[in-house]
Amino acid sequence: MNKLFILIIIVALGSMLYPLVSSFDGNSELSSLAQFYAQPDNISKVNSPNLVTAIVVTYRGLDTMGEVTILFLTAAIIAFFLKKGGTTRTLRLNSEIFKTSAKLLVPIIVMLGVYIFINGHLSPGGGFQGGAVIASAVILMLLASPNTKLKHNFFEALESTSGLVFVGLAALGALLGLGYLDNAILPLGEFGKLFSAGAIPVIYSFVGLKVGAELSNILNKFQSVQSDK
Amino acid sequence: MEYITLITGFLIILAGLWAIMTRKNIIRIIIGFVIFDTGLHIVMVSIAYVRGGTAPILDGSVSIADAAQKIVDPVPQALVLTAIVIGLGVTALMLAYAMKLHQEKKSLNIESFKDLKW
Amino acid sequence: MISPIHILTIGLGGAFALGFVPKKAKDVAAIIMLFAIAFMGAISGSWLLSLINGGSAEQIFTAGFRPPYSINLLMGLNEAFLSTAINVIGLLGGIYLYKSLKSAGNHAIMVFLIFIMGLNIIVMTRDIFNLFVFMEIVSIATAGLVILTETGKSIQAGFKYMMATGIIAGIFLLGIIFAYYYSGTLNIDGLTSANIGLAKGGSVALFLILVSIILELKSFPANGWGLDVYEAANPGIGAMLSSATATAMYFVMYKILEMAGPQWNYYISLVGVVSFVGSNLVALKQKNSQRMLGYSSIGQVGLLMIILGFKDILGDNTSYIAFGILISHYFAKAGLFWLAGIVKQKGIKEWAVIRKKPLFLFLMGTFIFALIGFPPFPSFFAKWTLVMDLINTGNLPWVVAILFGSMMEAVYLFRWFGYAIKGENENIEDFKIELHKIIPVGIVVVSLYVVGYFTAQHTEVGAAINWIPLLFVAAIFVLDFLPVFVKNTIAIIGMALYFYNIYPDLDNLRLIFEAIFLVGGILTLIAGYAYKGKRTGFYPVALLMYAGLTAIIEAQTTLQFFFGWELMTAGSYFLIIRGKRSMPHGLSYMLFSIGGAYALLTALGMAYAGQGTFSMDIINGITYLPYWAYGLLIVGFLTKTAALGLHIWLPGAHGEAESDVSPMVSAILLKAGVFGVVLTLIGMGGPNNEYTWLPYALGWLGAITALSGNLMAVFQEDAKRLLAYSSIGQLGYIVLGLAMMSHLGWLGGFSYVINHFLYKAVLFLTIGAVVLRVGTHNMYEMGGLIKRMPLAFLAVMIGIIALSGVPPLSGFAGKWLFYNAILEKGWYFQGAIMFFSGGIAFLYLWRLIHTVFLGQLKDNHRNVKEISIWFLIPIYTLITGIMVYSFKPQWVLQPLGDMIAQYFPDGQLSWVGDTAISKYGHWAGTWVAVTVIGAFLIVLALLMLSTRKAHKLKQFDITYSGERPERPETTHVAYNVFEGLYKAMWPATIPLVEAWWNRVTDFLHDTADIARRIYSGNGQIYIVHIVLFIIVTYFVIIGG
Repeated sequence: MNKLFILIIIVALGSMLYPLVSSFDGNSELSSLAQFYAQPDNISKVNSPNLVTAIVVTYRGLDTMGEVTILFLTAAIIAFFLKKGGTTRTLRLNSEIFKTSAKLLVPIIVMLGVYIFINGHLSPGGGFQGGAVIASAVILMLLASPNTKLKHNFFEALESTSGLVFVGLAALGALLGLGYLDNAILPLGEFGKLFSAGAIPVIYSFVGLKVGAELSNILNKFQSVQSDK
Repeated sequence: MEYITLITGFLIILAGLWAIMTRKNIIRIIIGFVIFDTGLHIVMVSIAYVRGGTAPILDGSVSIADAAQKIVDPVPQALVLTAIVIGLGVTALMLAYAMKLHQEKKSLNIESFKDLKW
Repeated sequence: MISPIHILTIGLGGAFALGFVPKKAKDVAAIIMLFAIAFMGAISGSWLLSLINGGSAEQIFTAGFRPPYSINLLMGLNEAFLSTAINVIGLLGGIYLYKSLKSAGNHAIMVFLIFIMGLNIIVMTRDIFNLFVFMEIVSIATAGLVILTETGKSIQAGFKYMMATGIIAGIFLLGIIFAYYYSGTLNIDGLTSANIGLAKGGSVALFLILVSIILELKSFPANGWGLDVYEAANPGIGAMLSSATATAMYFVMYKILEMAGPQWNYYISLVGVVSFVGSNLVALKQKNSQRMLGYSSIGQVGLLMIILGFKDILGDNTSYIAFGILISHYFAKAGLFWLAGIVKQKGIKEWAVIRKKPLFLFLMGTFIFALIGFPPFPSFFAKWTLVMDLINTGNLPWVVAILFGSMMEAVYLFRWFGYAIKGENENIEDFKIELHKIIPVGIVVVSLYVVGYFTAQHTEVGAAINWIPLLFVAAIFVLDFLPVFVKNTIAIIGMALYFYNIYPDLDNLRLIFEAIFLVGGILTLIAGYAYKGKRTGFYPVALLMYAGLTAIIEAQTTLQFFFGWELMTAGSYFLIIRGKRSMPHGLSYMLFSIGGAYALLTALGMAYAGQGTFSMDIINGITYLPYWAYGLLIVGFLTKTAALGLHIWLPGAHGEAESDVSPMVSAILLKAGVFGVVLTLIGMGGPNNEYTWLPYALGWLGAITALSGNLMAVFQEDAKRLLAYSSIGQLGYIVLGLAMMSHLGWLGGFSYVINHFLYKAVLFLTIGAVVLRVGTHNMYEMGGLIKRMPLAFLAVMIGIIALSGVPPLSGFAGKWLFYNAILEKGWYFQGAIMFFSGGIAFLYLWRLIHTVFLGQLKDNHRNVKEISIWFLIPIYTLITGIMVYSFKPQWVLQPLGDMIAQYFPDGQLSWVGDTAISKYGHWAGTWVAVTVIGAFLIVLALLMLSTRKAHKLKQFDITYSGERPERPETTHVAYNVFEGLYKAMWPATIPLVEAWWNRVTDFLHDTADIARRIYSGNGQIYIVHIVLFIIVTYFVIIGG
């Protein structure tokens, strides 16, 4: 397709989207929805200092469940899509320094990831961020020693367990609390403490584990099906 | 401030589309999608900005009582988180597809995959 | 009851739990999945039952907060119905895909489960961002399911699908975030009341949301990616996309449109109509069955979008109409995709293999008829209501567009079906039946009939439909394993009893036609005893045609009439296509019939406009566009009488049909069209009508039809085609007679109706029986048969004398009445044409005797026997009728005159004994007949005496020695006997009309072929299409 033509299309699309920019006026105050979330009464009902986390895990917990599902789906699809080919790889040996430092760093990175998701309701971060950090440790490990065989079954079991806990907690909300995903089924605790905000830290921890496991699985799959030819 | 990020976001969206529609290499097209998504995320975050606001985390600098006056809108930020994760999943799957396509024809040119048409 | 949210718990929990199932235990995993889907179905089903019984809708809150602060879901009647539908098709689809899923492994099973769960939430959610998330779940799951059965093509299709949905999702997200900016909420109900369309940016945001849903519905033409998926994916997945996903996304469209407000409705209809007409047109050239089904799915969704856009105009009927179309498509498309997976053939021609297992042909037929909107399927009632309501609200152009699109769909679906029924299948390997694949197909087929019945019951006018004949057809279908004589007897007894029951309720006009249909039907069925074996499939379709015919007669409402009309079309289509070489003729018959039916449908809609009732009386004195309405009625009915221009289907259809089918579709079926014309002309107001040029044009059409039909008959070498063309001509007389709109004209016309029934049945039965004996239709391959079958000869001779309209037989009555009527009316030109074509008739009638029965007997016919007794019985019964009519014409014509006098009181004949007296003279039937026969006998006796010395001729041929004829038939004395006449007359014959219709079809196919080249196969180009689609619709709707 002619690039000039594409350029014209892009310009036309830009001019079509222009009213969105031209009528944009910034915000001088919060939207009504956000104001509700920021009201002291409602903050104490969820009891999470990180309002984004409160929204992600509680108010819009169903979306989060969807997100987790999407990663799960992707991992599952990649698992049956990418089957290991017959060809093997000739691997370049990594330097001793890289391998050793990777061994040193991996546990620290995993720990950082765990820290991020456990404190998701208190500080910036959360399950997805923590999970992604954990997965980065896995990348490092795979880069340093490509022959590592990840324990596939372990990750899958972790993934499924975390998922079931999430769904279970959500359903408990419907059975015990005021609705699906109600975080008040666990004690709300004291504002700003690690063990507070009801089910949020629990859910977010399992989300973190799940995301970490899923991303690792995906990476592992990509790594394992590569071949020279 | 928010105007600049908003316009930048839109330009990145268009740039992503440009890449998607003109690059021939499938990996580049996938990168085009990543750029397109990034632009979207920037637009979303720009919309969340409230003039003079700070991050919606209630620690030392923002107390519960004046939260509503001091923070930026947390809703689009939560949405953007979701959108990023979805984008990640889509990108991973696209890359898996790219691997398979390459296995099939030993080519990554989008124009070599026209077996289905009309 | 279990809260609907646990559909999510079950679906997601089940999928997560599958992670614990060992890799090898695939059966366990698959069964868990099926149970999970069944459980989800049970939840939604229980809500559906409770809501139908007046329960209240359930709001589902999450997170312990009320909306709009948290995400909420809704389980109302719509949601319950749709999620039940999704779960049912999910369960059936899961069963169907059992082996494919198992071989792809536990992960694929998880993906399938999440796919179904995601669709449920899409239907129920009331939060727009949540909708986005679950739509993404569904599209990612789809991208995974496309490669369930991995082929190079499916991988390509999946990647294109991901590219397209990636862009669409981005556009959707952009719309959502700006909708949030302008409204401060993500709740769909909140957005509805926020009315953000008022701001310029807000309307752009709404546009982006709407256009992305439109694109998700794979609207033409930005849908190459969707088509590729339909083509390349496992058919079981195609079924899911077409039934489950399309259903869910359609409901999303509904929700979003409610949210956006009524100012968008019109554009949704506009996009819908482009999609419906466009994709059906482009599908014309399609040879790959799965891709064709994809086009059809997209078309159907387009139709549904039109309906959605008209929801404010259609009012309460919207959901009824949408339900009917949606549910038919849902069952039929799933069924067809599943069949594609069983038959395992891509090319439509290779589907001929399906009839190696006749039951599968029945399944396929059901699905195709349901898609096109034939009774008794829900789509029939939906389409009817849609057309009626649209015309009633002044939206005639939309009806025209919708019917044009439907027509295109019928073309390619019936072409495909034709290959299945008649295509070459000897070299194609038979397919295997797997139980888990056939169960879902069986369930959807039964469901289609059941739902169709209940759809009809839903409206007052539909509830009045008489289902007894159809039940009888169904019973015969079930008994199809019995031998012919049992089924034939059942059929005859059934029809006789039905006629006995019904005849006291009919007025004289209807009684005449009912007698032709049912008594004629019984007589032709008697010939069926001559067949051996089972004659699989013959009786259900024959009785279906008679059920339709009687429904037309009994119709109290226009819906009943149209219902019967379509049943008759379906039945006769199957009868016609049974012939050995009938495939193309079956198709053209079907297409002309559907075209005619749509003309009728439109006209009945015009009749309904402003009336508020469906009583048959509304065709009397139509007020809305009356000229068009009556014109369309006439055109619609003339497709069945095969008037010139609409006759293309007839010669082949009648000529190639089986021996006892030809009289059914000629002597009997054509009269249905005549009945329709009669009703129309009465509706126009009989003698006092104001439509001067309409009957005038009709008269000319009748006259020209008479001329060219007869002329074409002259040039036939095939005895049955000769009779078929002759029917065209005879029907031309009838139309001319009726068009005169006078007492005598009608009497002449009706006289022809009865006569044509009698002699055409005699001729077709006799010639058909001869064909069964000698094994050829070609007259030059026969000869001298008088020696072997004298009774057949006698029957043909009586038949042609009656046909030619000379004394002493009944045809003369018609001619006499005609000339009287023409003199009275002053239509001298038309009369001259009629007179001329009457003369032409002798040219071909003579050949039936001369070439078939006289001359030398062929060597290979030395031992043929007289035609079967089972043919002779109805033939001589009919001949008795001809004789009675000939010798006592007053017995027929007097009551006929009294009946016609109800409508045309002026200008009646007066009768003195057997003598009819008109303005111009008199005619004493009995006396004329006896005199002529006397004269004939005297001449015969003289001839016999004077030629006693003539000796019998020996076999000879006109070939000279040494000549090498490449086409042996050309050496036959009777071959091409009218060559010279043809050279002089061909412009007046039919090829010109055929050439015109060929032009039309070529034009449409060429258009389709050019248009479909936009689907270049390049995924990048598809993205360009999507972006262009967005830009173009934006500038159309918002206008820069």
